[in-house]
Amino acid sequence: MTSLQAIVAASVLLGAGLWLLLPRGGSTGRGLGALLAAIALGLFAYVVVRIDPEHKIGDAVFLLLAATTIVSAIGAVTLRSPVYCAIWFALTLLGTAGLFLYQGAQFLGVATVVVYAGAILVTFLFVLMLAQPKGLTAYDRVSWEGMLSAATGAVLVGLLSAIVFAPPPVEGAPSGSLAGAAAGRVSAADRDAEILSPQHMAHLGGQLFSRHLIAVEVAGTLLLVALVGAVAIVAQGKAAAGAAALQEGRQHG
Amino acid sequence: MDEVQLLERFLMVGALLFGIGLVGFLSRRNMIVMFLAAEMMLQGISVSLVGWGRFHNDWGGQILVIFILAVAACEAAIALALVLMLFHRSGKLDVAVWQSIRESNQPKFVDQQLPEEPAAVEHWPVLPQSGVEPELPVEEMIHRSHV
Amino acid sequence: MFNAETLMVLIPALPLAATLFVGLFGFVLLKQRSHIPVIAALVASFVFSLFLLREVTRETAREEGYASVGVEKLVRLWTWADIEDAYRQGEDGEGVERPFDIDVTLRADPLTAIMLSMVTFISTLVAIYAVGYMHGDPGYPRFFAYVSLFVFSMTMLVSVSNFVLLYVFWEAVGLCSYLLIGYWYEKPEAAAAGKKAFLVNRVGDFGFALGLFLIWTTYGTLNFHDVGADGALLSAAAEANDEVAIRGVLGQSRLHDPAKSYVGGGVGLAICLCLLAGACGKSAQFPLHVWLPDAMEGPTPVSALIHAATMVTAGVYMCTRCTPLFAASPEAQAAVAVVGGFTALLAGLIALTQNDLKRVMAYSTVSQLGYMFLAVGTGLLTGIGAGMFHLFTHAFFKALLFLASGSVMHAMGGNCDMLRFSGLRRIMPWTHGTFLAGALALCGVFPFAGFYSKDAILAAVHDRGHHDFVLLAGSSLEFSLYETLYYAGMFTAFLTAIYTFRAFFMTFYGDTRVPPEAGHHAHESPPSMIGPLVILAGFALLVGMAANYYGFVNFLHHTPSLAFSGLPAGSHDEAAHAQVEGLSTILALSGIGIAAFLYLGERRQLEKLSLWMRAAKLYEVSFYKLSFNKFFIDPIYNALIVAPLRLLANASYWCDQKLVDGLVNFSGRMPRLFGAMLRPLQNGLLQFYALAMMLGLVVLIGTLLMWPAS
Repeated sequence: MTSLQAIVAASVLLGAGLWLLLPRGGSTGRGLGALLAAIALGLFAYVVVRIDPEHKIGDAVFLLLAATTIVSAIGAVTLRSPVYCAIWFALTLLGTAGLFLYQGAQFLGVATVVVYAGAILVTFLFVLMLAQPKGLTAYDRVSWEGMLSAATGAVLVGLLSAIVFAPPPVEGAPSGSLAGAAAGRVSAADRDAEILSPQHMAHLGGQLFSRHLIAVEVAGTLLLVALVGAVAIVAQGKAAAGAAALQEGRQHG
Repeated sequence: MDEVQLLERFLMVGALLFGIGLVGFLSRRNMIVMFLAAEMMLQGISVSLVGWGRFHNDWGGQILVIFILAVAACEAAIALALVLMLFHRSGKLDVAVWQSIRESNQPKFVDQQLPEEPAAVEHWPVLPQSGVEPELPVEEMIHRSHV
Repeated sequence: MFNAETLMVLIPALPLAATLFVGLFGFVLLKQRSHIPVIAALVASFVFSLFLLREVTRETAREEGYASVGVEKLVRLWTWADIEDAYRQGEDGEGVERPFDIDVTLRADPLTAIMLSMVTFISTLVAIYAVGYMHGDPGYPRFFAYVSLFVFSMTMLVSVSNFVLLYVFWEAVGLCSYLLIGYWYEKPEAAAAGKKAFLVNRVGDFGFALGLFLIWTTYGTLNFHDVGADGALLSAAAEANDEVAIRGVLGQSRLHDPAKSYVGGGVGLAICLCLLAGACGKSAQFPLHVWLPDAMEGPTPVSALIHAATMVTAGVYMCTRCTPLFAASPEAQAAVAVVGGFTALLAGLIALTQNDLKRVMAYSTVSQLGYMFLAVGTGLLTGIGAGMFHLFTHAFFKALLFLASGSVMHAMGGNCDMLRFSGLRRIMPWTHGTFLAGALALCGVFPFAGFYSKDAILAAVHDRGHHDFVLLAGSSLEFSLYETLYYAGMFTAFLTAIYTFRAFFMTFYGDTRVPPEAGHHAHESPPSMIGPLVILAGFALLVGMAANYYGFVNFLHHTPSLAFSGLPAGSHDEAAHAQVEGLSTILALSGIGIAAFLYLGERRQLEKLSLWMRAAKLYEVSFYKLSFNKFFIDPIYNALIVAPLRLLANASYWCDQKLVDGLVNFSGRMPRLFGAMLRPLQNGLLQFYALAMMLGLVVLIGTLLMWPAS
């Protein structure tokens, strides 16, 4: 089976599996959906992963992290209760953080856990607690155009992976674009000196506060503005909602 | 390890995260879940960026992800504030409630009517009795508003 | 004080300035004081007109000594149009090139001077009268702005020296007439009457315009005056040997040799008939007379000023001004006379049975204008002079009659139906007296003004009747046209006396009855209205004697248009004149007698007469019915002209609405049709938009993958 065939098959299976997994009012076919999605993921893994006998443990760690990330992502998207979604998304974030660490991006791994899982996701949960009506609402039990959106997502994944793994032949370029594009351009020693250097944080901080200083300042300002904006929206929105509710009550009364 | 293969793996994971997040964003109707899905798409991008940064031995990828983090935090703050406000207006987190930007003579999107799902019978763990049973209102104890 | 040129400019300029001033500030500043600038301007114009008349008189006196062709003064303000080589074919068929230029030139000659004095005098009195009559009207400033605009237009009409400008101000007075008839535009009758006047005038003006085109192609210019080689104006006083570059239609160079200069035959007849059509429209002659009686919907001062004394005489003025053209075509002159005589008779017959006081006066005006046309149609100097003389005197006594009617109407609360009031002489003694003066003048009773002018006309027609113009010569029906018209005129004089005194007796004699609308208004009018009435009554009594007919004709003879050698002078046969005078006075007195017999006192005779008519079955078919219904001319016009036009208009409207608009609307609906197909895309659901965007992205990436950029 060529990469292209595998990618096509995997995309089709992923689309079908996601469609079956998405909430559709009942719970029939979810198992089948999970199975199809699992097969699709396996096919993608088959396309991507070439087990290197020297790095068995490293490959196994990667596979574990990737599987955790993707499976929990599927769960976060398809489960009906928003709380479960959020919790599965937390797992996705943890997986992603692991993948960052796997890449040697220590700061990002930690930052993802702290900022995303620790702060943003908790905010989500708070909002859910504030806003979620009791029980499963109708709109959580159905999805909008499930088949079409699952197909769109699957086709997009297929196209993106096809670009990487089965690139179209381009005249004057060696086949296997990525391999030809950069192999050997960066030596292992360079990488060890820069992005994988032991002083990772120092390097990253040096880059941030020298080359990207203005951007950092702008990002900080953005955070401040967002904070003020969020407070303003909630404060004014409550007043407006109160007025609207009053008016509605008048109309009905 | 072969750096090209490493990049390919991370691109694959990134693409999958992005695609799955996209499916979630397109199909889920709870605004908070939609927002989660959007964050997931950002994660997919982040994974790809870090992979490319490593491949090219460039800090740019990681720094961009740091900014993505910052922007995502802002986005979360504002979006959740808006979601809360919309919830206060309609009492629902349903995104299909807000469809007033449609063409004036278009019919309103009407939800399909689902049969009422019987509430799952919830079994909460009960401790075995020991000692003297205190006089407590049982209903209050087993009452859980919602999860 | 001023020289003649300045006076000629100032006379029209002052009313124009007053118009602008009142028009701009009337509603803001002046309000109920809006008459002040207008009356000031009109008085000044009148005084300047008198100065101008004196200047012209001096000139004529100086001219008596040597042979000449009239007195004229010209002043060129500017050149409106100056087109070189506009005319490529000469009169004699050779390749002559002529420029087309419109000189905005004012002229002063005896004809103009008389018209100017008359117009400004009457308009001054009418404006003073209107202060009382229009008091408290919400459109007070508008009224005075219109009146002074009218005076400007009318003074320009009589003083311009170019056919195009004559046409322009011809239309301008028509516009003022329209505006003032429809002055109370909230009233549907007034608005309709304004429209009718405007449209009927259009018919005549169309003919007038055609006449101008013919004059242009025939004579190669539209100027009255000659223009010298260096562009200078050549008036009568110019040296005879000056080289003339453009020979004006009524210029000295043509008048010196009228036999060769003026085109007769078919072209001449066509020109004259076209001009006559225009004159018929403006002066309400049959068949275009229908608008004038309806025009009485306007305020009474307007009726007096525009529809009795001044504007409606513009046609007579124009025919007089164009006398050389008419003299070249005797048939056209006969047509003018016939139209005039017939209209005079017809309007007199209609006026006999009308019950609306103002309408009687309106038909009387039509009838008197018919007299003037009859006089002008004789083609004799005495006749044309008599016509202008009648125009002059008629202006005074008809304005008087209208203003007196307005006074009655004012007192009767806007009501002028003579069946509803009577015996007003006890309530309104001044109005009664002045009305009587006007009525006597209109009937032509010695020594009132009408006696002189009307008898002069009849005498001139009689004189012309001796001269010939025999129709159907040789057959057994042979008759002299002018002889017939003379008898018609005599009969009309008789009718005039009857209807005038019928109206007089019905209004002022009998039991005192006042309609309920009058309320507390039923009293004599205020001094600002009585003053002009008294002045006009004085003039109606004296102007005929004061402006001695022969003196008047002598003076008028100095007008270039009337001074040329081709115009037969007519006889000054005093005996024949006296005979005519005697006959017409007898007829007038007998007419008054009949009116008194029928309408004075208990009106028993009238009842007897009507009972007799009923018994004899005359009532149903008779003349009475014809006359009462104005000879059914309006319904006939409706059926023959208005209804087919309306049908055509409806058909065109339908075509426009259904076919043309249908096509346009269809092409307009096309985008909406396409839009309707795309409309469901905008369903307002956020996720739908996101999905569409993503599908588009997928298509883009797929395309890149399938057909990579090489």
